Amino acid sequence: MKILIVEDEPKTGEYLRQGLSEAGFMVDLAQTGPDGLHLALQGQYELVILDVMLPGLDGWQVLASLRQRDLHMPVLFLTARDQVEDRVKGLELGADDYLVKPFSFAELLARVRSILRRGRAGTDLATTLKVSDLELDLLRRRVIRAGKRIDLTAKEFGLLELLMSRHGEVLPRSLIASQVWDMNFDSDTNVIEVAIRRLRVKIDEGHEVKLIKTLRGMGYVLEAPEDS
Amino acid sequence: MAGVVVFGVGLLFMHEADQHFIDLDRMTLLDKQHLIEEILKDTASPKDLRWRLREALSHHHGLFSQVKDPSSAIIFESKDFISVPKTSEDNTLLTWKNEGIEFRAIRSQFLSVTMPASAFEITVALDTQHHQHFLNDLQRSFAIYAVLATLISGLLGWWAAHQGMAPLRAMKLRAAGVSGQQLDARMPIAAVPVEMADLARALNKMFDRLQEDFRRLSEFSSDLAHELRTPISNLLTQTEVTLNSEREGAVYRDILASNTEELQRLSRMVSDMLFLAKTEQGSDLLHKEQFSAAKEVQALLDFYEVVAEEQDIHLSSQGEGSLFCDRLMFRRALSNLLSNALRHTPTNGDVVVDISATERMMQIMVINTGSAIDPTVIHRLFDRFFRADPARTHLTSDSTGLGLSITKAIVDAHGGTISVQSDSTSTRFSMTFPH
Repeated sequence: MKILIVEDEPKTGEYLRQGLSEAGFMVDLAQTGPDGLHLALQGQYELVILDVMLPGLDGWQVLASLRQRDLHMPVLFLTARDQVEDRVKGLELGADDYLVKPFSFAELLARVRSILRRGRAGTDLATTLKVSDLELDLLRRRVIRAGKRIDLTAKEFGLLELLMSRHGEVLPRSLIASQVWDMNFDSDTNVIEVAIRRLRVKIDEGHEVKLIKTLRGMGYVLEAPEDS
Repeated sequence: MAGVVVFGVGLLFMHEADQHFIDLDRMTLLDKQHLIEEILKDTASPKDLRWRLREALSHHHGLFSQVKDPSSAIIFESKDFISVPKTSEDNTLLTWKNEGIEFRAIRSQFLSVTMPASAFEITVALDTQHHQHFLNDLQRSFAIYAVLATLISGLLGWWAAHQGMAPLRAMKLRAAGVSGQQLDARMPIAAVPVEMADLARALNKMFDRLQEDFRRLSEFSSDLAHELRTPISNLLTQTEVTLNSEREGAVYRDILASNTEELQRLSRMVSDMLFLAKTEQGSDLLHKEQFSAAKEVQALLDFYEVVAEEQDIHLSSQGEGSLFCDRLMFRRALSNLLSNALRHTPTNGDVVVDISATERMMQIMVINTGSAIDPTVIHRLFDRFFRADPARTHLTSDSTGLGLSITKAIVDAHGGTISVQSDSTSTRFSMTFPH
């Protein structure tokens, strides 16, 4: 999958390229607005990550030019100005998502995957999720591990559903808070930590293979050993 | 101004004097007319008559008289008698001008006792020049007074204004000395007149507010430098020490993870500060909507439920009502209060969110059981970076020390109020929002 990054800050751009490449994407990097637009018009990108403040053409102008030429690949904005007007402007122009600098890479990666998954809607309609010997039945709201039923609260079920539907992906705390509890702001609580710990006790205790892992400083991931 | 007044008074006076002179002249003329009538009545012989008339009338300067007998022959005429214009009516005061001199006259008919059915014609006239002289003098005097009055009042006015402006000049001097570093100057309220005292007081209050804001701003800057310095120097030291010698991959990973956590906290602090700055700028960024307070509170209680359970704290809410706020901001404000309450509630304690409506405000109260907050620091709880417990170092806590400041900024932006009360059994934070 090809991703274009347009970012004029050399270090940021380089780290983003490295990070996304290591996450399995094909990444091109442009440092100015006109270069970015040129590349975007040529290559077949599935996603463009655009900085707002760019030399030559700013992010909004690049986006507007793309949409004018009937190119509708998803666009993720990076903005240092966390102003509401920017948000509104970006979404009006057809941006798919935005991240306010400074952001964590785990958060960016999770958002990139969310956007790309959205593009392939329809394939995720399975009613059961299965990772290793853990099964989650969305219709009957049941969870079974190694043939044994596990009782979960509604929120625990929601949390497990998120982790399983995106198994193998590192999910940062802020994304979990937003998806499971609809808390769309950074809070300084340890709610997610506690919730994961309790879920882990129910899911992994007594099993040799631990599915839920903590990646310090990045977030949480649910994966079967053969996934990694 | 004074000149105009003097001039006006002068005009009025002149007019009155003129009227007065007319009355005076009429009386003099009538007086003389009666005198002549008396003489005519008493005296039979024409010779005596002429003599008596001359005796009676010729010494009066400026008075002219003429008496005609019934046959219209002049029996007496004073020296230089000027011709009096014919009038249709007798016994009325006649005023006219002759060669620039104003005259007044009365003409009358007198029926003789000795010769009935025939009448004498009496004409008395007055030269009013002496009045005119008097009036002219008066006019000149008034003109001089008017000029003088104008000059003096101008001078007095300037002096009064100068004196009156003295407090303003004093205030100007004080104001000129005020700067960001020098904000303790105050207007001299005692030294200015009552009318300006209000202005001075208002200015002083403004200075008080500015000084307070400046103090907090500079405190904030130094706090900020301090808050950033410690973690940055920790990160730097740790990274440099790590680079000093070759290590295992796992060690590097561990150190990088620890650095990441610290950096994330710094990053959150920066975001929080940007949020604070933005929120304090004003309320135009609010996206207000109407929503159920109880539902929002419940969503937050659901979020914090696991943490409360871990600490064996009972978390509940009571009451309901409708709020008109920025929903995300409200969540954030209440979330900070809840996480603060959960941090300070002992095991087996209670945290209750109480929703109630007063006539004009919605009140959201977060009550937690626990010991009292030190009364000497309670008023500083909403200050940025303030931590009631100095032993709690930021390295072991995820808190940025900005939570309660953010809550206060959000409440302020909505035009509400926030307060805190604490006693030995519980602490209650109360937010109010206008309906």
